[in-house]
Amino acid sequence: MPLLAVLAVVLCTAMVLVVWSVMGGFLGMLLDTGRLLVGDVEITRPVSGMPYYEDLIERLESDPEILAATATVEGPALLGVPDGRTLMVKVIGVDGPGYDAVTGFGDTLWWKHLDKPVKEDTNGEDLRLHLPEGFERAGLTLTEIDPITGDPVPAAVVGIEASGLSVRQKGGWYQSPYWEGMGVTARPNENGDGWIASAGDKQYPIGRVPHLFDDSITLSMLPVSDRGVAIDVQARKIPVANEFRTELYEVDQNIVLAPIGLVQEMLRLNRAVRVSENFDGGTQVGADGEETFGEPVIIGEEPARATSVLVKGAAGVSDVRVKEISEAVYAEFAKAHPLEVPPPSGVRIDRWDERPSVAHLIGAVKTETSLVLALFGFISLTAVFLVFAIFWAMVSEKTKDIGILRSVGASRSGVGMIFISYGLVIGLVGAVLGVSLAFVIVHNINPIHEWIGQVTGRYVWDPSVYYFTVIPNQVVAWQAALILVGGVVFSVLGSIVPAAKAANMDPVRALRFE
Amino acid sequence: MPTRDSPIVEARSVSRTYRLGRVNVPVLRDLTLSVQAGEWLAILGASGSGKSTLLHLLGGLDRPDRDKANRDAGVYFHGKPLAKKSRRELDRHRARDFGFVFQFYHLLPELTALQNVTVAAMVRYGIGYPGKSRQVREQAVDLLECFGLASRMGHRPAELSGGERQRVAIARALVNNPKVLLADEPTGNLDRATGQGILDTISDLHRDRKQTIVMVTHDPHVAERADRALRLVDGVLGQDPEESVPMRPVLQG
Repeated sequence: MPLLAVLAVVLCTAMVLVVWSVMGGFLGMLLDTGRLLVGDVEITRPVSGMPYYEDLIERLESDPEILAATATVEGPALLGVPDGRTLMVKVIGVDGPGYDAVTGFGDTLWWKHLDKPVKEDTNGEDLRLHLPEGFERAGLTLTEIDPITGDPVPAAVVGIEASGLSVRQKGGWYQSPYWEGMGVTARPNENGDGWIASAGDKQYPIGRVPHLFDDSITLSMLPVSDRGVAIDVQARKIPVANEFRTELYEVDQNIVLAPIGLVQEMLRLNRAVRVSENFDGGTQVGADGEETFGEPVIIGEEPARATSVLVKGAAGVSDVRVKEISEAVYAEFAKAHPLEVPPPSGVRIDRWDERPSVAHLIGAVKTETSLVLALFGFISLTAVFLVFAIFWAMVSEKTKDIGILRSVGASRSGVGMIFISYGLVIGLVGAVLGVSLAFVIVHNINPIHEWIGQVTGRYVWDPSVYYFTVIPNQVVAWQAALILVGGVVFSVLGSIVPAAKAANMDPVRALRFE
Repeated sequence: MPTRDSPIVEARSVSRTYRLGRVNVPVLRDLTLSVQAGEWLAILGASGSGKSTLLHLLGGLDRPDRDKANRDAGVYFHGKPLAKKSRRELDRHRARDFGFVFQFYHLLPELTALQNVTVAAMVRYGIGYPGKSRQVREQAVDLLECFGLASRMGHRPAELSGGERQRVAIARALVNNPKVLLADEPTGNLDRATGQGILDTISDLHRDRKQTIVMVTHDPHVAERADRALRLVDGVLGQDPEESVPMRPVLQG
């Protein structure tokens, strides 16, 4: 019976700690990766954008507490992938190195040389092992060298889950779906101008790998006038320089990065001249009877615009402080360009976790975590009742022994303490075992999840629902400690009433008990 | 014969009533009794005569009814009323001054014979026990050896015979060197020969250690072994005529 009580405590503590670790880890991952592509603070004016953003960036970067700032232009787009499918995505136009300085985007580039295979990749199947050093450079600058002209041309960096042409393998690396099930691997040839595919013992030189980063995509975007009228669809076919992976499924699946100049051009947010509206458009006949073509009268210049400016604080500067600085700088900036830039009330200045999409996500996960935790915590109260029921039965069973102890002079409190310390030991043993069990489960949760998926055919952790492609597998020490203490306290609580029953037992009756 | 100075245990006009549902059942009525130091007193009574209750009252395991008319009523130990002791003092008193022996041995089934003996000392000394454990252990071993249980010390009660169990129980009652040994039908669950052995053991204690003993029994032959026998009938003590003891046939059970 005491073993049953221990088992109950083990299961309850393990359950709560596993849930807490996974959900809490999930939230932690969300908070970590949520700022990956956004920096600390975002100043936004969607669709029509802000002109003179270079000046705003200069003003921001002159503050010693600001590490860097960069402009982005974003808008919805249709993505045409090489196998003929068309997908809805969000295109963000960025200045590669500047964007990297603010968001650390370079670290998320997927296709780069790996020295060692990842732990699960025992056969060296990960394509990254065969990539040359510095492969990701093109991704960082968002340019590719045109093989004919030798000039750099704009290129895109696509979220790795977006195209469907990079398929996540169980070990965590990506492969082309064309190879799936064929046992084909590929690596660059010695000249670096082609690839060698190997299947079994045979090797085939191939011109290109049917892989997204060595191919082109088509982006179609819809520029909109400042009155909200669609102008005309802009489409560009551009090569893919690399793919990125933040691990945040929603981002990896939905975002394409392209050079800011290209996106500004497609959205008609680039620098343009303003011409007189009185221009009649026709030709003029001079005094000498000669016709001259009409030149539009240039009456001004429309500066390029950015829909967002992302700001990154210097090391040790909180994002709250960065937001304050950004607000102050923007106010000055608006004063310096009266009537030309949106007033401070016309832009959103959000901390990364205040951005509507992220805030919504974080709020949902926080709610979910506390809900699930409350639910499981409540279920765990059953441990109290189990210990209670088991101890109650034990007290009844030991009635005569209690009488014997009382007859040799044991006090009521002494008898009660026997049962309470018994509860303490059961709680301690159960909670320690339970927390250890939780450690084992949480650390192996991904293989366990994989195994359950294989056996039952159902994968509980759907990345499109839970945003991440791997399940968090870390146990937080203070949470483990709290659960441990909780398990012990609950067990002692459960033993108190039976202990009181034992203590208050009439020794004479207890002795007569059969 | 014991000296007739102040008694070690006394019951003065003690009554004890149990409530059974709505009915009050008087078990002992206005009972007065004194036990001298070094005396072996037998209380003879039929089943249900209240003799176990009397023993429990004397040993402080139970308290008598409150008698508002007679404030002196109650159990006295060395002339001091037990009624004035707090619960905790009573517990300590029970651990230090009394040793109980029961008809059904009442050993703890999970403990060995030796542990069953030392547990009484453990209860008595509480957290002070570790300091005394060697001494207690030696004494327990001596007692068990003295009772012929040298080879049975590591056995659990289930592995012992009835007589062996009862001797373990007596050793437990003696390990704290009590002033009074209270025995409740110590031979009641044993066959005649084994019972005689137990009585011999008790008799030796009485003779060699001058142990004060109060023993209740339904068996006149057992009562004969004591210095003095009193008859308890329906909660009232008879007048101590020793010759009257065998005259009334006592029914078993």
